[in-house]
Amino acid sequence: MENHNSRYARHYSLRDFGAEAQQKLADAKVLVIGAGGLGCPVLQYLTAAGVGTIGLVDDDVVSLSNLQRQVLYTTNDVGRAKAAVAALKLQQLNPDITINSFKMLVNSTNALELIADYDVIIDCTDNFAARYLINDACVLLNKPLIFGAVYQYEGQVAVFNVSDAQGNKANYRHLFATPPDPLEVADCNEAGVLGVLPGIIGLMQATEVIKLITGVGEVMINKLMTFSILNYDSFIIDIRADESANTHIPKDATTFKATDYNWLCGTSINGVIELDANNFLQKINLPDTIVIDVREVSELPKADFQNLNIPLSALSEKIPEIEANNIILFCQSGKRSLRAGMLLLEKFGNTKNISHLQRGIIALQEKYNE
Amino acid sequence: MKIKIIAFGQIAEITGKELVIEALDTASLQQALRDKFPALAEKKYAIAVNKILVTDNQILTDNDTVALMPPYSGG
Repeated sequence: MENHNSRYARHYSLRDFGAEAQQKLADAKVLVIGAGGLGCPVLQYLTAAGVGTIGLVDDDVVSLSNLQRQVLYTTNDVGRAKAAVAALKLQQLNPDITINSFKMLVNSTNALELIADYDVIIDCTDNFAARYLINDACVLLNKPLIFGAVYQYEGQVAVFNVSDAQGNKANYRHLFATPPDPLEVADCNEAGVLGVLPGIIGLMQATEVIKLITGVGEVMINKLMTFSILNYDSFIIDIRADESANTHIPKDATTFKATDYNWLCGTSINGVIELDANNFLQKINLPDTIVIDVREVSELPKADFQNLNIPLSALSEKIPEIEANNIILFCQSGKRSLRAGMLLLEKFGNTKNISHLQRGIIALQEKYNE
Repeated sequence: MKIKIIAFGQIAEITGKELVIEALDTASLQQALRDKFPALAEKKYAIAVNKILVTDNQILTDNDTVALMPPYSGG
């Protein structure tokens, strides 16, 4: 037994917790998808708490604008893969547990195999395509899903796919059966987020994980909490699972794997060509080509190739000035450049070649760091 | 029926955090909100009546509280 490990002394002495609950944590396998604002606190506290096996998945690299809220990383880590940096630091924090680190994007081809190996899945992602994908995969595999999401000064926390005493088992589709229109959705880049918010919401997710594994306290099964950090108001609603929402979920693994969640969530658009970092760098110097940075003027890092900076907010009025037949768009993460592509597509149809850099400057930084 | 509305996130940016609307059921309430705030037509949000999620149309009674909760994706 590990109950001589003084690392967990405060758990052993805790009423209703003790060595028994600690052993349940040691036996548990959890998967944290996304090692960003939510993922950092979740990973740090579950590692410290002694969860026996922690899988972490992230395809991103650390950028300077992450550090305001992603406190697992330091300035020296900028440009490095989050999966590698996080695994190293977490293992230093607690060498007694197993950390499985995956530097990759979760998609419909790999999600089921990845998730199948774990007992509890924690959604710490930052986009709807990933959130619907993870939700549906957890429903198919019957895995508990700890959901967390933030917007500016508010966050949402829920525990999905766990039955209550009446057999009621809600998932994200019961709240929002289908994804919102991508043009209606702001991300952290555009909407901003107070740095402490994902810290608080992530810790609430970590708390739900510990409660679910150990049986201590009441888990937020079939509930959605909305929490405001402006006045600490929390608003908890009950979700009654009704079967109709589940009709949107792929019926089996084969259908799931054939589902394009990026398309479902409008994160890819027919008519706007997607370029990876290599393709992008090859195409930007071709003749009759204009490269447009649609980020705001002050955003960093600046690109080290010739481009024109037209922020997305000002793009519509500048469209008539674009003469080149090949238009290549980029931004920080690939979201705004896709929206810009949609605007240009409306104007030019297929009279011009419109393409954008998938995953934005982040993808280029990764390539430079290889 | 006087219905108290509590809005969150991007919905609150359109409607304000709290308001009172006259409506008989959740469908007519949504219509009244769209009439008052056309920008809501494009928005997706979940509805809870007295803190219970509703998906079908539900009859409302005086002083019910209806919450409008948009999906958040940030992380």
